[in-house]
Amino acid sequence: MSKKITFIIKRCDNPQAVAYWEEFKVPYFPKMNVVAALMEIQKNPVNAKGEATTPVAWECNCLEEVCGACTMIINGTARQACSALVDNLAQPIRLAPLTKFPLVRDLVVDRQVMFSNLRKVKAWIDIDGTYDMGPGPKISQNVQEAAYELSKCMTCGCCMEACPNVNSKSKFIGPAAIAQVDLVNSHPTGAFRKEARLEALMGEGGIADCGNAQNCAKACPKEIPLTRSIAKLNRETSAYALKKLFGK
Amino acid sequence: MTTKVIVVGGGLAGLMSAIKIAESGHKVDLFSLVPCKRSHSVCAQGGINAAVNTKGEGDSTWEHFDDTIYGGDFLANQPPVKNMIEAAPSIIYLMDRMGVTFNRTTEGFIDVRRLGGAKYSRTVFAGATTGQQLIYALDEQVRRYEDAGLVRRYEEWEFLSIVQDDEGRCRGIVVQDLKNLEVQVFPADAVIMATGGLGMIFGRSTNSTINTGSAAAGLYQQGAIYANGEFIQVHPSAIPGRDKLRLMSESIRGEGGRVWVYKDGKPWYFLEEWYPAYGNMVPRDIATRAIFKVCVDMKLGVDGENKVYLDISHLDPKEINRKLAGVVDIYEKFVGDDPRKVPMQTFPAVHYSMGGLWVDYDQMTNIPGLFAAGECEYQYHGANRLGGNSLVAAIYAGMVAGPKAIAYAEGLSKRSEDLPPSLFEAAKTREEKQNAAIFKMEGKENPYKLHQELGEWMLENVTVVRYNDRLKATDEKIQELIERYHNIGVGNGAPWGNQIVPFTRRLWPMLHLARVITLGALHRNESRGAHYKPDFPERDDENWLKTTKAGFTPDGPSFSYEPVDTAYIKPRQRRYDVAKEVTMANV
Amino acid sequence: MTNSFLWRKLHSLSGIFPIGIFLLEHMFINSLAVKGEKAFNQGVALLHSIPYLWALEVIIIFAPILFHAFYGIWVVYLTRNNVLAYSYFRNWLFYVQRVTAIITLIFVGWHVLILRFSSGEISFNVVAQALSNPAVIVLYLIGLVATFVHFANGLWSFLISWGITIGEGAQRKAAYLSTLVFVVLTVVGVNALLAFK
Repeated sequence: MSKKITFIIKRCDNPQAVAYWEEFKVPYFPKMNVVAALMEIQKNPVNAKGEATTPVAWECNCLEEVCGACTMIINGTARQACSALVDNLAQPIRLAPLTKFPLVRDLVVDRQVMFSNLRKVKAWIDIDGTYDMGPGPKISQNVQEAAYELSKCMTCGCCMEACPNVNSKSKFIGPAAIAQVDLVNSHPTGAFRKEARLEALMGEGGIADCGNAQNCAKACPKEIPLTRSIAKLNRETSAYALKKLFGK
Repeated sequence: MTTKVIVVGGGLAGLMSAIKIAESGHKVDLFSLVPCKRSHSVCAQGGINAAVNTKGEGDSTWEHFDDTIYGGDFLANQPPVKNMIEAAPSIIYLMDRMGVTFNRTTEGFIDVRRLGGAKYSRTVFAGATTGQQLIYALDEQVRRYEDAGLVRRYEEWEFLSIVQDDEGRCRGIVVQDLKNLEVQVFPADAVIMATGGLGMIFGRSTNSTINTGSAAAGLYQQGAIYANGEFIQVHPSAIPGRDKLRLMSESIRGEGGRVWVYKDGKPWYFLEEWYPAYGNMVPRDIATRAIFKVCVDMKLGVDGENKVYLDISHLDPKEINRKLAGVVDIYEKFVGDDPRKVPMQTFPAVHYSMGGLWVDYDQMTNIPGLFAAGECEYQYHGANRLGGNSLVAAIYAGMVAGPKAIAYAEGLSKRSEDLPPSLFEAAKTREEKQNAAIFKMEGKENPYKLHQELGEWMLENVTVVRYNDRLKATDEKIQELIERYHNIGVGNGAPWGNQIVPFTRRLWPMLHLARVITLGALHRNESRGAHYKPDFPERDDENWLKTTKAGFTPDGPSFSYEPVDTAYIKPRQRRYDVAKEVTMANV
Repeated sequence: MTNSFLWRKLHSLSGIFPIGIFLLEHMFINSLAVKGEKAFNQGVALLHSIPYLWALEVIIIFAPILFHAFYGIWVVYLTRNNVLAYSYFRNWLFYVQRVTAIITLIFVGWHVLILRFSSGEISFNVVAQALSNPAVIVLYLIGLVATFVHFANGLWSFLISWGITIGEGAQRKAAYLSTLVFVVLTVVGVNALLAFK
């Protein structure tokens, strides 16, 4: 008799439909993770009552926690399903879609807003062109190491989900995009357009909407020091605002 | 008259092509199955090769070129490889200027490390998530052009087929929006495919779940030639898993990791014993076969299972954190042990396809106007790819494909916009019918189970060690699966957010590409690079120094062979137990 | 820079200056009650001798408090608390900040109503009279503690919002400071409250 793991999954056919919970029993195997369990459901879309059902829709891609695709709410908190090992989870395991993004279907949501936020804050370095112009500026190991921490952000949305100030009522862009401003501003060439990014952060739904709940840094699967970036840019935007106020 | 180019694929090659096109002031539509930042390029760990010679070891582009050709067992056409290798340092500098967080030396220069098949430190890296860092930088550059109105992104759209005019030229693509499965057609003057690898054909691999190879396979069915399909790289180290074989970067060995098993109760460093010249730094095909021999033939795997130790517990934990954190974290998360203290347990896994769409030196396939770049084409790695060369090849191919596509489009006498709309309507209708047909499938077979069966057969018989009888049996099995495909049932789900219908669609070309791989391997009676047949253990240059070219026919692939361009380096025996013989550039 | 950036910054600032400063001053005057009726009445008289007092009251007390209160209600409205899913200490404090905001708002409104606008000239006796009901004392205790929590935690948050504390270490030290501020204010405030018995 093999052990079975119970999954209770929040399902919804489309944004207009009514959501419901459906229970599944999946045969256990060692080192099983939530994605592997969902794959088993795909191969055998039968719920716990023994009724045939539609396979659960969810997103996944790399399965090693670098692409960010399989983020969902597992037992109440947002995380990647691929690295959520069944052995470490309380059972039954409850899966639900992220709540801060428009629902597509079942566990799939549309996180495009995170990419448009990156565009809003101009999180890129304005290079002259892709032709050969020799190496970039020299960078110290310390600066590289701090930047690397920030550059691991996979726009998964955990910080957005955890942030009480990111929701349908507010326009807050959330922590991820703010940390990317910190990243680009810390690059010697990126710093040339520092002020444009500060301006963007001072816009509607910008950095001032942060309420210092600090869930983001705790919820980040890559342990990015998001609250540090936010505080640092609070300093820079405040100073910039004062400079503009008195320097005119 | 405006030139319109379409890029399909949001990984390194696709993004680089798009940047090149936008930079020249032309408009580009970029289609990607997933948001570009989630493309499989993020999984590349070890680094990107370029002979920057910053360690004073006397590295040169010639050495890098020679290592690449030698490592690829002389199957690659040499001129494009040479061009790529020579461009590699400037690619590193470009990525550096884009803000990639490459590791640094104490003086602030870009740091380099060594990967397999090389005697020099020439792999530039950003922790152990180099691919992720590179793609994020390119993604941001594309976003910049998006902001400037030159790039339009279609993320979570799937490529279905190309539109061809009466002359056979590629004139656009048909795609579906994965949200609602609506089919749309986009005319273009040139199309660049950068759709990546095909690991999913082997069921489980180090690849992402999007790497089905179905886009390239579909093009093969539309008439594109598929080259060197039988050359599949099996990476020596991955964490075995039921859902995925998670890559443990070659940089682990590059930073001093050692591979061993117990023999007579004592650790046995078999790579170091068998290949004294390169030790743990032999290329991937060599290391993989050695591990197979130890586990499968000698039965010396860890706990009697197919696993060997990959050991970094003797290294300084601080250096591990600085240079390998990304991979070590993955191991800790998925296995639970700390590699800083306990040796990791790994086993080889399907990793990369050296083969792909056949392209000319301008990255154009045999279909005029259809270009290919990145892992989905065959050009840069011969019979085996060196660690650190995939990233440079993807970016370089993008840099070539973009401008060449523009040049091609500008040379057209008739633009796509001048063609009758009926041409595009017909293509759209064809794909809509195809979708409608899949929705109506009500058989007993589950497509995911069918896929699993395909993967099990391919993994068992078409990877490290190949026997003709088993290859034949595999091809027969694939044909059986092709038959059974028609008996798939997709349930009665609505189109909105439906995943089973697009998956079923992908499976069809995958099955056909699996035949190309299997039959290509069956026909090639020699051993070269990643392709190894114990019954034909030697490389046979007289008969097989040739590129395999597979063309689609309704009865299965038809094979032809094309000689390899060895313009610069004469093929010589490839061995790693002794130091590689020195060659000289014919200047 | 948009208005919302400016308003948010002013909101954060106004809680400390002038409202926080006024709170400290208020607690100082209240504490005179500990020294007896006379001392308190003298203190009040001194305050009332300030020229243009009404203008000062409007500019540095009523207007900032009204702004802080009404903009604060908007800020509270924009939040969707999630302490049950993310029960981190800081998230709880974030929630507490919003709960105490509402309590403080009601308390201050009621306090001003009964002691500033409906009791005539303020004096020790007037206050003692108002506080003679034990229920009022209890409500005052709740209101005072809520106000102090809101102020002390707001101080911690202000230091981040204005970019004064950046690193984790600095923020931790600021948390110790804000705890100290809370304790001192509570001791002083409650002591003064009980002095009116």
